[in-house]
Amino acid sequence: MHFTWRRGLLRLSTGAGWPSSLRFPHQSCLGFGCFCSRSPPIEVAMDPDHNAPHSMGTTIIGVTYDGGVVLGADSRTSTGMYVANRTSDKITQLTDNVYICRSGSAADSQIVSDYVRYFLHQHTIQLGQPATVKVAANLVRLLSYQNKNMLQMGVIVGGWDKYEGAQIYSVPLGGTILRQPFAIGGSGSSYLYGFFDKEWKEGMSKDEAEKLVVEAVSLAIARDGASGGVVRTVTINADGVARNFYTGDSLPLWHEELEPQDSLLDILSSSSAEPMST
Amino acid sequence: MEPVGLSSASSKDSTSLDVGSERNRYPYVTGTSVLGVKYKDGVALAADLGGSYGSTLRYKSVERIKAIGKHTLLGASGEISDFQEILRYLDELILYDNMWDDGNSLGPKEIHNYLNRVMYNRRNKFNPLWNSLVIGGVKNGQKYLGMVGMIGTHFEDNHVATGFGNHLARPIFRDEWREDMTFEEAVRLLEKCLRVLLYRDRSAINKFQIAKITDEGVTISQPYSLKTFWGFSAFKDPTKGAEGSW
Repeated sequence: MHFTWRRGLLRLSTGAGWPSSLRFPHQSCLGFGCFCSRSPPIEVAMDPDHNAPHSMGTTIIGVTYDGGVVLGADSRTSTGMYVANRTSDKITQLTDNVYICRSGSAADSQIVSDYVRYFLHQHTIQLGQPATVKVAANLVRLLSYQNKNMLQMGVIVGGWDKYEGAQIYSVPLGGTILRQPFAIGGSGSSYLYGFFDKEWKEGMSKDEAEKLVVEAVSLAIARDGASGGVVRTVTINADGVARNFYTGDSLPLWHEELEPQDSLLDILSSSSAEPMST
Repeated sequence: MEPVGLSSASSKDSTSLDVGSERNRYPYVTGTSVLGVKYKDGVALAADLGGSYGSTLRYKSVERIKAIGKHTLLGASGEISDFQEILRYLDELILYDNMWDDGNSLGPKEIHNYLNRVMYNRRNKFNPLWNSLVIGGVKNGQKYLGMVGMIGTHFEDNHVATGFGNHLARPIFRDEWREDMTFEEAVRLLEKCLRVLLYRDRSAINKFQIAKITDEGVTISQPYSLKTFWGFSAFKDPTKGAEGSW
């Protein structure tokens, strides 16, 4: 597979029938989903004229519960079809009490998080007390909005402060800011709208909320190629922050998924009749 | 402390013809139609609470009608982040207006004019705020209803609509609007149009707010949903007698 430049358009030539509507990034990113699936295969332009936003790799979730928030994400960073990092940590700290889930371009979301952490640090010193979640989210929004032509990132900011308690703020492409009781983002989130419409409840307990997040990320990983690896969660409340890490074997199996084995040989030796059929 | 923006050298638009200056953008999270009508005692605006992300109905609690000062209502369709920015500009405007503390306050005409200048100047720099705005208000008994588009087009009228509402709601307004409508009649008219938009606009959701403004002040309703009607006998078996049609 190689890229050629022709009159300002990035043309993709591959051997196998790779759908040319796939957008290949020129930098390592948190996975790149396809354009809206209704578009037919077209030449990928570097200055696209399309109106529909393209989804971004990753699955990220933020959920409030009674007393705190649970942030969740998968751990796959992809460059095109290659998984550059299978154990990335997309839930980044901004302050002691505010974390951010990042999706979209890895570089863009990382640098914005770094800037916001820097500003929040100074702000905390000046304020003399922990920064609020709202301030953190709005700093992210400012950078996102003012540089909307250049940045490609959708994030979820979540945390706890003593004024408003548990809060989740969504900052999607473009720099809109929206406070929500729960938020989902990234390409994997497409598969979760129905799940959350059904399963979301107000006033869950911490354990219920964490279970919901893990289940959701796991479902998204099952169907989204740009999401995978482990499920990471970060729980933030008045008592502090707790990080968790769920590997594949602790996650439930979904439709058409099989119990992982060490080897076929184990199956062969344990079963008696007709293990290999024609 | 204004955060430093990133340099345009790393712009993802650097392959386009003008590097350094911002070029035409495209919207991401968008709101659909806003409707506005004048009635006997004031002005009423209506809109749904949807924020679409392309074809996904992603956000369902986006309030697209806001009160500005004491005398004005602003409704917006288009890019929500740009609407949020406009609200910040207006916050500052109203703050300075209040600080004068001179018994005078900005009315809908002033707000309309201000927004018109903002939109038109951005358009001239090829960096528009991607919104269609509806400004309604009452000041000193005088009712006002107007619209400003993303390229700076602006006008006043007795009834306005943005987006799909232009095509679906305005014909109904032209037919059924009356100068001396009561609030109830205005609501019925708006709801009729909202229902049509719900049937025919893919980006509409069934969650609305109606806002009214009179000399007494602003009221924005709680979000609510409308019943829809699907029980036409022809709907039950639409291809009867013409198999294969739709």
